[in-house]
Amino acid sequence: MFKGTIDVKSLRFIGAILILLLILPLIFPRFYIYMLALIFVTSLLAMSLNVVLGHGMIFQFHHGVFYGVGAYTTALMLSKTSLPMWLGFVAGPIAAALVGLLIGWFCIRLTRLYFGMLQISLGSLIWAIAFRWYAFTGGDDGIHGIPLPSLISSLNSAYYFILIILVICLVALYLILKSPFGSTLEAIRDNPQRCEAVGVNVRRHQLKAIVIATFFAGVAGVLFVVLEGSVFPDLLFWVLSLEIFIMCLLGGWFTFAGPVLGAAIMVSLRTFVGIFTEYWTLILGVILILLIFFLPEGVMGYFLERFRPQARELAEGRGE
Amino acid sequence: MELGQGLDLASLGSQLLVGLSRAMILFVVCAGLSFVLGVLRVPNVAHGSLYMIGAFAAYSIFRFFGSSTAGFWLALILAPFVVALVSLIAERALFCHLYQREHLMLLLFTFALMLIFGDLVKLTWGPEYCSVVPPKMLRGSISVFGSSLPRYNFFLLIVGPLVAIALWFFTNKTKIGKVSRAAAVDREMVGVIGINVSWVFAAAFVIGCYLAGLGGALVVPTVSVCLGMDHDIIIEAFLIVTIGGLGNMWGALVGSLIFGVTQSLGVLFWPQFAIVFPYAAVVIVLLLRPRGLLKSVW
Amino acid sequence: MLQVEAVDKSFGDFMAVCQANLSVGKGELVAVIGPNGAGKTTLFNLITGQLWPDRGRIAFKGEDINGLHPYEICKKGIARSFQIVNIFPRLTVFGNVQVAVLSQQRKSSDLFPPARNVAREQTDSILDSLGLSDKATHTAGSLSHGDQKILEIAIALGNEPEFLILDEPTAGMSPEETAATLELIMNLASSRGLTILFCEHDMDVVFSISQSIMVMHQGRTLIQGRPEEVRENREVQEAYLGGR
Repeated sequence: MFKGTIDVKSLRFIGAILILLLILPLIFPRFYIYMLALIFVTSLLAMSLNVVLGHGMIFQFHHGVFYGVGAYTTALMLSKTSLPMWLGFVAGPIAAALVGLLIGWFCIRLTRLYFGMLQISLGSLIWAIAFRWYAFTGGDDGIHGIPLPSLISSLNSAYYFILIILVICLVALYLILKSPFGSTLEAIRDNPQRCEAVGVNVRRHQLKAIVIATFFAGVAGVLFVVLEGSVFPDLLFWVLSLEIFIMCLLGGWFTFAGPVLGAAIMVSLRTFVGIFTEYWTLILGVILILLIFFLPEGVMGYFLERFRPQARELAEGRGE
Repeated sequence: MELGQGLDLASLGSQLLVGLSRAMILFVVCAGLSFVLGVLRVPNVAHGSLYMIGAFAAYSIFRFFGSSTAGFWLALILAPFVVALVSLIAERALFCHLYQREHLMLLLFTFALMLIFGDLVKLTWGPEYCSVVPPKMLRGSISVFGSSLPRYNFFLLIVGPLVAIALWFFTNKTKIGKVSRAAAVDREMVGVIGINVSWVFAAAFVIGCYLAGLGGALVVPTVSVCLGMDHDIIIEAFLIVTIGGLGNMWGALVGSLIFGVTQSLGVLFWPQFAIVFPYAAVVIVLLLRPRGLLKSVW
Repeated sequence: MLQVEAVDKSFGDFMAVCQANLSVGKGELVAVIGPNGAGKTTLFNLITGQLWPDRGRIAFKGEDINGLHPYEICKKGIARSFQIVNIFPRLTVFGNVQVAVLSQQRKSSDLFPPARNVAREQTDSILDSLGLSDKATHTAGSLSHGDQKILEIAIALGNEPEFLILDEPTAGMSPEETAATLELIMNLASSRGLTILFCEHDMDVVFSISQSIMVMHQGRTLIQGRPEEVRENREVQEAYLGGR
């Protein structure tokens, strides 16, 4: 059934990386392990955005809201209720997907720019409520000291937990994007009018994509809680949403794993540059400008373009 | 949950006036954003940063002239030109090369500008709060509806409509203005009749940024000037421009009034969640009229 | 099979279609002709749901279809190709046709198995019958104009329609390509039992293959009838054929 989806060479490569990632906590100091775990969480978030952005050309300008909703839901359930912890973990993505469905349903009636604007306003509303509702959400302080299951409360165990969930999610996303659902989504991206003419209910399809994307954003939110043990209103703020946007572009938004690369680059740069200077935003701005002028398809997109002709010959040679 | 106290006509009236004067500043800023949006069809994310630069520049000019009355007025006049100059440099050096690209790239470019300007401001002025005291004639307050309203707010209530009139005059009566309006609707046609579209865009961009700077200079006596002003104002400006109708100057006015008034009323009725009122108003407007209240330019 | 009755459509002050009538029987090959701006594409857009009529009735197999969305009308069995090439440029030729086939098989939202293994036979057979098999893995955007026009038709076929609307299928083609495409269309009509409605500018083509011709002029239907009737009609001769 899954024959030919991915070739042996790539599988070996991925396997090698996985093994490397698994043994790293035994070698690297805490600082790097923490940063890697943060990269994992951010990668998942960026990948979730790219489901609708790169593969669907839906201008989800405020994707961060769903990340924040997932994180806050889990945080609130773990710290304010005595319900079983796994329930809190599951509630996060579901809440994110429900909010995604609600906001998506309102926004999907509109075209691109208006879609983005309405989403920003709805998202800002949620941010404003979370920011001010001190009693419930901790206001601008956020919530700290969230109790976590002892199994994953140490940094190393959190690292492994996050890595495992990330891999599962990536596999799921890969299958989804390579499925008929995914190829129809990409067709909608390229020519929504034609898709309508061939019988696709474009709005409903896009809405389904949004629900999927926001679900995985919620998962990323839960992973954030596992890693940090706290949540802040910044997770819901629009600047974060734009940063995720940039990660997708940086890595290559028309590729599958581009966002992962983008997230890795952004998080590591931010961490390392932050050691030397407090003007990280300036550097990020310059990088973005360089990207716009010289690498509009992103880093991975650029490399794929250079090596794609060879890849296609290989594919045709295999008779696919 | 506690409701604001003093819910009588006097406080209602004065809060309304406060809201209206705040709306005037929002209007000046949003008119600029809307203008650029209308002509270039790109929402300028850096608009808030230019507002902030205007505020800081006004502060510096004010201090340069010994914090005097003359200094205040000079700051008000010169600061927007400083901002216009900065925007002209950015436009001619980088922005104009992107006009052929898709709008998403232009949007991202303005976002990059926002990041860069934000840190440049931090570099130049540091992270402290700055404040400016208005000249004597605008200090203090006037008694109205039984409570006091700062004089400076009245000043704003006069300046706002003046800017509106000046803008209207500009877009309808001057050649540049009319050409800009034409370019907003059909840039190819404008190019065909021999006008350099690139220069039209440059002019529109600079004018829009000038207004951002003016808004920043005007707001200075009423708030503490600090980093983060750009983040706060840009979201509000975007939302206002969207509910007003993209590119529509009167829409920017209507949107600003709605935003400013709901915010000040929110302070009166539910101080803790005052900030939610304008956002909720925006959401309601967009749900009922997703394309904005007034017609968008395109 | 398709009945268009007294349909009006205006854009502001401009009346694009006025009291248009059209009747297409099952299995027929019907052409719509008229000068540029006569309203042919608007009429097609009204039938397939991209536009909604101001007045009048459009019925397919006896059922009213005005006011339905394009994707709903497609599911009823009507497919169309577009005058200006309207393909999926980033997808492969195979992918282009597959989108339609998936939609027809109601598999557009399936999450497994991977798309490359789904609906292969149908997609391949369509590509085969239109001579596009050897280009299946090429990116659609890289095809020649003539091939793209054929791809247009291939995509429409992916929906396994009963009724096929072709909007200027040979526009921009060389004479050889035109002849080949026409033979294709005639074969489709006979082998798949398709009912075809098309519009064309090449009069030789139209008069040689159609069983019924509808003439439009300034948004109105002048006449619909067999080729000989239309050729003899004086109004048509004056308005369009230049008094031949």
